[in-house]
Amino acid sequence: MDLTDRIAAFRETVEEWLRGLYHGMISHPAYELIEKEAEDQEDAFLLACFPDAFGIPSPVSYYTAELLPYLGAEFEQWERRMWDRGSMLERKGQQYHF
Amino acid sequence: MGRYVFFGGKGGVGKTTVSSAYAHKCAGADLDTLLVSTDPAHSTADVFDQRFDDDPTPVDGYDSLEVMEIDPEEAVDEHLMGIKRQLGDQVSPAIVNEIDRQIELAHQTPGAHEAALFDRFIDVMRESEHDRVVFDTSPTGGTLRLLSLPEYLGGWIDRLLSKREKSVDLYEKSAIGGREPRRTAVGDPIIARLRERKENFEFAGETLREEAAFYLVANPDELSIRETRRAIASLAERDLQVAGLVANRLTPEPEPHEEGRGARFLRDRVETERERVRELEETFDPPVVARIETRVAEIKGDLLDDVSRELDIAADLVA
Repeated sequence: MDLTDRIAAFRETVEEWLRGLYHGMISHPAYELIEKEAEDQEDAFLLACFPDAFGIPSPVSYYTAELLPYLGAEFEQWERRMWDRGSMLERKGQQYHF
Repeated sequence: MGRYVFFGGKGGVGKTTVSSAYAHKCAGADLDTLLVSTDPAHSTADVFDQRFDDDPTPVDGYDSLEVMEIDPEEAVDEHLMGIKRQLGDQVSPAIVNEIDRQIELAHQTPGAHEAALFDRFIDVMRESEHDRVVFDTSPTGGTLRLLSLPEYLGGWIDRLLSKREKSVDLYEKSAIGGREPRRTAVGDPIIARLRERKENFEFAGETLREEAAFYLVANPDELSIRETRRAIASLAERDLQVAGLVANRLTPEPEPHEEGRGARFLRDRVETERERVRELEETFDPPVVARIETRVAEIKGDLLDDVSRELDIAADLVA
């Protein structure tokens, strides 16, 4: 173990930490936020498509039903999410990971 | 004269008779004619004494007349089955049950029948090779709703489309640093599907405004006239002009020398109806293009020819 090796090992550790910090403090929250927003938009889209899942009749549900084969998995997750969404605050505050 | 001619009016005023007579007239003028009945009661079969289904069927004794009867119930079922078949191809069986419920729900909504009918209308408009297509529509309310669908649903679909595009766009943005986005706009079947629908509605709206003529059938009574007034107003709201009014079921006048209870009754009745027809002529914008007297029997065969001669609606082709 000579000096150059130790310096290299140290630098590697520091780099790893920096990468981790950058990821955890900057990039991950950023795309998590955008992704959450995208999910919310998608939820809104699904609600507009299938309000009758919640007992609200819709004039276009006859047509939106055609989308279901492509929305299969999303639809099911969405229904579950919608039924147990606590509050807007809880949903929007998730990024802070309390 | 447009390629598509619609006959509307209150239930029971004789739309089927008038539209059949007009189709008869067009066929007589050597036009390749298709008569489309959308009335769930389907009385065209009685007029021509023949069974029809939802494919254009040539009418016996005519060279160039075909009839199709659209059954909304059946159209809705076909749509439902189609989606279920697709579902089987795309989605795992575990999820199918969940979604089945939603699909069943969607096909029981009040608008489903109209939507299905409307789809068939669009099919007819897109595919028919006929010179003239005559629509014998269901009673006023349903027909008007049907004709307002393009605009109404078009707006809805628009909003859905923009929502979907926005969420897909966000998914793409969130894929920072070469990560695979969860959804992409390229080849998104949802967007493609919505666009296709939107195009369909736009086509329908345009065709109705540019190539269709609307005639309203009325009886000489207060109710029917009021209904006609409302129908004209709501069609005008949607930029659809009514080309003419048909006064149907007028009481025949007795001979002047006849006396007796029946003759007196008929005379009074005819007087009342004259008032009503005058009202139609004077207070309505569209011209009264026909005055058809009540016949002693159902309108069929030779009587149809009679009636068609009383129709003052051009059967020639004017582009």
